[in-house]
Amino acid sequence: MITYDDEVVCAPRAGTLYDVLELILDRGMVIDVFVRVSLVGIEILKVDARIVVASVDTYLRFAEACNRLDLEHDVRSKTVPEMFGSPVAKSVGKAGAKRTARSLTDKVRDVLAPDDDSDDADDADDTDELPRGRSARGRGEERSERPRGRSSGRSRAEEDRPRDRPRRRPRREDA
Amino acid sequence: MTAPATTGAPGTAVKSLYVYGITPAGIRAPRSPGVDGARVRLLTGSGLCAAVSDAPARLLPRRRDLLAHQAVLDELAAQGPLLPMRFAVLSPRADTLLTQLRSDVDHLQRQLAEVRGCVELNVKGTVVPGHFADLVRRDDSLRTLALRTRRRPDYEANVRLGEALALGVRREARRAAREVLDRLTPLAVRAAGGTTDEQQVLSTSFLVRAEDEGRFRKAVDAGARAVGGRLALSVTGPLPCYSFVEARPAPAGR
Repeated sequence: MITYDDEVVCAPRAGTLYDVLELILDRGMVIDVFVRVSLVGIEILKVDARIVVASVDTYLRFAEACNRLDLEHDVRSKTVPEMFGSPVAKSVGKAGAKRTARSLTDKVRDVLAPDDDSDDADDADDTDELPRGRSARGRGEERSERPRGRSSGRSRAEEDRPRDRPRRRPRREDA
Repeated sequence: MTAPATTGAPGTAVKSLYVYGITPAGIRAPRSPGVDGARVRLLTGSGLCAAVSDAPARLLPRRRDLLAHQAVLDELAAQGPLLPMRFAVLSPRADTLLTQLRSDVDHLQRQLAEVRGCVELNVKGTVVPGHFADLVRRDDSLRTLALRTRRRPDYEANVRLGEALALGVRREARRAAREVLDRLTPLAVRAAGGTTDEQQVLSTSFLVRAEDEGRFRKAVDAGARAVGGRLALSVTGPLPCYSFVEARPAPAGR
């Protein structure tokens, strides 16, 4: 489930049936004199829907990814060749070539951008609003051109396809 | 095919009705096929309509049936206010259902008024594990821990480091989730939180006036740009107002 790429998700993903399962099954009205059928299988569905991730295995994977980070150099002095050869980029490769390509593209853009604002975006909350906003808007537009962009999210039935899944549960790609 | 024990009391399998939702009287029957492909029809009484179909002999939370339930409700919601039923609510007989509508009419009308002109939008946010790299570079204690672990790598040290990183990205994601909630809540009539876990730290439904949906979505987009490195957002909707109807109407006569 966990990948360790440093991808920034700038556009919200459109929801799927999976995202509203809990609403259909647990919310909505029930009327006492009606029968609510007891459904074998629902518990299994829900367990599947909420995979527990806090485990030693997860911790070790975090540690492994961290141990490949370049911590000796200042982040701001990154160069393009360094980025391509960087341990983080390699670890992304495990999640699939597509993700790697996208992530590398983002990295290159980050490196080439005049302000390296991705690394201190959190610090920028009140002091550095303008450059951050400009950069974020650029990325958001590019992402919204992808098929999973918001504009295609209105039709839930059509959107409910497996291609959306790996985004939130990337580990399934390995399964 | 024999009916499995899970379909409930004897006799419910054949004659009972699957109930989709309740609307004011005077709407068109949905064209979408219902659960198990059944035709959906309307039972009208006391100024209300209940959308029903023959209950299938065997009812399971199959993907196509969940989608059918949802599609019927979408079609009803497009016509006006709707009280959506949970998946798999059956009424034994038509007359029982109409009696229930009559005894609950005030309560049901009040609920319909509350969701009139509104849609439900569900926003979820999941942890972005990749944020750990930013954290390590920014947080001195994490950085120290990472460098120490690198110098003396062993199993225990790696578990401790990994745990600290996992906690860190989750804490940042939760903080981002609160920021998103603060942005979105003022744009909604009501909000209803759902269950969260260690991975999905935000799961909230918003009751939004239909005319405000565009504004709300823009705010979600802005939120996603602001917190994208820490929290991955998804938005689902417009949905029938599942989260904004009282699960059970008050008992009759109260």
